[in-house]
Amino acid sequence: MNRKVVVYGLLSVLCIPFVFPTWWMVTSSFKPTSEIFSYPPRLLPSHWQFGAYREVFELQPFAQQYWNSLYIAAIVTVGTMAVASLSGWAFARIRFPGQNVLFIVVLTGLLIPSEVTIVPLFQLFNRAGLIDTHWPLILVPMLGAPSVLATFIMRQYFVTLPRELEEAARVDGLGRFATFWRIGLPLARPALGAVGIFTFLSSWNLFLEPVVYLSTKEKFTLPQALTQYVDAYGGPMWDVQLAAASLTALPVLVVFVIAQRQFVEGLAHTGLKG
Amino acid sequence: MRWKSTAIAAAALLALSACGNGDDTKEADGPVSLRMTIWTANEAHLKLFNAIADEYKSTHPNVTDIKFDSLPFDTYTTALTTQIAGGNQPDLAWILENSAPDFVSSGALVPLDDTLQKTDGYQFDDLAAGPRKLWETQGKLYAYPFSTSPFGVFVNTDLVKQAGQQTPAELIAAGQWNWDNALKLGAAVNAKSGKAGLVVRDFDYKTWNNLASFWGGWGAQAWSADGKTCGFDKPEMVEAMTTLHKAVFTDKALPGPGVSADFFAGDAAMTITQISRASLLKNTFGWDLVPLPQGKVGSYAVFGQAGIGVFKKSRHAAAAQEFLAFMTSPANSAKLAAYFPPPRTSQLTAETLAKTNPLLKPDQLQKVVVDGIAKGQVGPSHAGFAELSQTVRAALDPLWQPQADVKAVLSGVCAKIAPQLAKS
Amino acid sequence: MTLRQRTADRLVGYLFITPQLVGSAVFVLLPLCLVLWYSLHEWNVLAGSFEFVGGENYQALLDDPALPSVLRATGLFSAGLVVFNLSLALLLAVLLNQKLRGLTVYRTLFFSPVVVSLVAWTIVWGFLLQSNGGVNGLLDTIGVEGPNWLRNGTSAMVSVVAVQVFKNVGLNMVLFLAALQGVPHELYEAAELDGASAWTRFRRITIPMISPTILLTSIITVVGSLQVFAQIAVLTQGGPGTSTTVLVYYLYQQAFQFHHFGYGSTLAILLFVIVLALTLVQWQMRKRWVFHES
Repeated sequence: MNRKVVVYGLLSVLCIPFVFPTWWMVTSSFKPTSEIFSYPPRLLPSHWQFGAYREVFELQPFAQQYWNSLYIAAIVTVGTMAVASLSGWAFARIRFPGQNVLFIVVLTGLLIPSEVTIVPLFQLFNRAGLIDTHWPLILVPMLGAPSVLATFIMRQYFVTLPRELEEAARVDGLGRFATFWRIGLPLARPALGAVGIFTFLSSWNLFLEPVVYLSTKEKFTLPQALTQYVDAYGGPMWDVQLAAASLTALPVLVVFVIAQRQFVEGLAHTGLKG
Repeated sequence: MRWKSTAIAAAALLALSACGNGDDTKEADGPVSLRMTIWTANEAHLKLFNAIADEYKSTHPNVTDIKFDSLPFDTYTTALTTQIAGGNQPDLAWILENSAPDFVSSGALVPLDDTLQKTDGYQFDDLAAGPRKLWETQGKLYAYPFSTSPFGVFVNTDLVKQAGQQTPAELIAAGQWNWDNALKLGAAVNAKSGKAGLVVRDFDYKTWNNLASFWGGWGAQAWSADGKTCGFDKPEMVEAMTTLHKAVFTDKALPGPGVSADFFAGDAAMTITQISRASLLKNTFGWDLVPLPQGKVGSYAVFGQAGIGVFKKSRHAAAAQEFLAFMTSPANSAKLAAYFPPPRTSQLTAETLAKTNPLLKPDQLQKVVVDGIAKGQVGPSHAGFAELSQTVRAALDPLWQPQADVKAVLSGVCAKIAPQLAKS
Repeated sequence: MTLRQRTADRLVGYLFITPQLVGSAVFVLLPLCLVLWYSLHEWNVLAGSFEFVGGENYQALLDDPALPSVLRATGLFSAGLVVFNLSLALLLAVLLNQKLRGLTVYRTLFFSPVVVSLVAWTIVWGFLLQSNGGVNGLLDTIGVEGPNWLRNGTSAMVSVVAVQVFKNVGLNMVLFLAALQGVPHELYEAAELDGASAWTRFRRITIPMISPTILLTSIITVVGSLQVFAQIAVLTQGGPGTSTTVLVYYLYQQAFQFHHFGYGSTLAILLFVIVLALTLVQWQMRKRWVFHES
């Protein structure tokens, strides 16, 4: 009884800073501008306005931008899962010369913030004629530095599988690729899930890169589009920005709420443990 | 094998990118497409630009495409520089006043005089000297000052009257519109209604260069006109900043640091900003536009500017200049005047401006815009402004505390920026 | 294993890592080499000049009066973030790992900021942290006068750390939760029979059993903490003074705002070396305290 009260109480207090900003963002998008910054902050609008949501779509090709973010994130996620599980498996379970050196070479990617390499990368893509296309936003996360974390997670996971696995596979007459595909991958579902979510979110939130690479409105991604809801002089249109931000956050939240049981419990079933 | 070829490709790319300056500057024949980076994403602005571009394309069939790229305002210069560094410079670009010296003196831009002068009906001499000054070096114009927007004071007359105070218009009529009274008015409104008194828009205790509209009244300057001597520790600056500090922390005439108040949402009695913001007014309260109050040095004016330059490295530099000449011709300049006060003397009259600024009365336009541009000074600018500005911002931060020693902080600012000023 | 099998093994191994390796070569190593190359130059982007200056930028790095304060801010930020993030994640995971009704709802709430766009999240917090913002409004109701969060050196640092933790702690929380649920129950039962207290059980069983997850999350968090950028740019722009100017932000200022690409590249190399060193240290430490790593 006592323990219950403590746990619920503690959780309820702790969740304020997690919930309030999102609450404020969503409700404020329905407030008249003059109410958005009233002090103390209002929990609900005094009267509800929906105009901002209409403007979101009127001022920019928002649906198109939504689709851009969505399909880029989807390709990057699937691609990263493929690239990372392949190399993670090889680094963890196959012996070949130069393995350790190559693993460390790959790991350097983990250590490089994107601000560091954005200028040379921009030059490369410019020479390849890929500026103002989605390619840089797909190729770099999928193959470059951001995918290394995924490889690292996959390798750490594959290392923990029992040695007898390959023996059993050989007895069953499975080839090397089949062993990876039919045994390794299914066992790694929880790690793949973690990788998938990490990757999707980092692509979904990418900000500096789209700003640098893209210049056509129809090609923009969501975080970049959010900064474009401004009045004639660069001053933000708060209600519209908040409405657009809510629109970018809510569907992902809903998907998470629906899928979270599978995600968290999937992780727990086998456990991401050493 | 694979490694070898990767290494070769890498080396080749390395060499290419390191010395990629030489050969791509040739004027290309055939179809021309132009790209201009801008910081507005406003629909009405873009509509106007595209209309001008379409008209140009219809008479110039070789120009197939004219594209306006909106980059976010906050990171505008950064994004532009990144594109240039990556070898993807636009053909034309808007340039902010504070980075004007960098662009003008760098040699990155093409001088425009020849093209503009030889364009039929351009009336080059119509461009006023005041607005041109910042964009010239050694007698050549490197960017066209398409927007010269003076600072004025917008007043929420409802809030002022509720507080039982004289409105700025009444103070002007009585010859008493000075900083003393303006600050008193701000403090009175704040005391009465809890709303903010005076807001220096976009200052936010960070973008300090917007304070030039305030300290100009004391004749203070961030640095001398030649950019070599620091002005923050001069007596007039100390006096101006002491007044400001007291107004913020003792009299509460201005909202303190970390307090948000938006004049256009009705949160403040007065705001100092550029007149172009009039379009943000939604007529939910009574308002007025008046010139900056008189300071120690009498009446004064400050304006902000933006220019359009053509890049030397553009593959179509000549075509870009011709388009710029078209875009800023007398006829088009009059259209642009709806949003951007033009540098043309013939168009800088209250009557012409009133046609395209229906929100403002001719009298307001005369006092704030026409007179402002005639007698005003442009806000601070300097070579290496971004770095200088950041240093000043960091050194000024201690001033925005209730107990600050104004004089000591300002001397500190000078000590910090002296090495950077000396470099110029 | 026969020779043929071994050759086939090698071939498959190389084949499997090819996409990653090519990607690393083109998108990581090549740009890194270019950055190293730039760091030996004075590069004026606007004037289009690119001059070899040898080690001058590195000399400038040693002489840079701003550097000590930048490194200090970086250290404070990273240390604060890692400690706060990992302990909060662990606390939440332990609380959520109870057999009680309705905890899934809380789990969802704690995770939700992870899916909100970083830029939106930071902008919203920027408002809440104003001196007349939501945080102080909330503190007001319980009779506490909050500081002017973003305008004071210490509280500004606390704010940027906290905003970042609230945004991302959900990820680590879920990873810890998964790890906790993987700890065999018999271990606790046996310890309880031996009369071990809850704290002892936590220290002697829980911590060792989830140590691989602790290692993983701490590496991710440390590396992530050194790459923090948008939060600083939106919330404090490195101020007040230079109290929140961390290395990445300083690099960004030098390269992109001040147009010193050469010096910016030098800072990038410094950042790279720091991250490399830290990761190597953590990796070495795993041998000491991570339970059953093979």
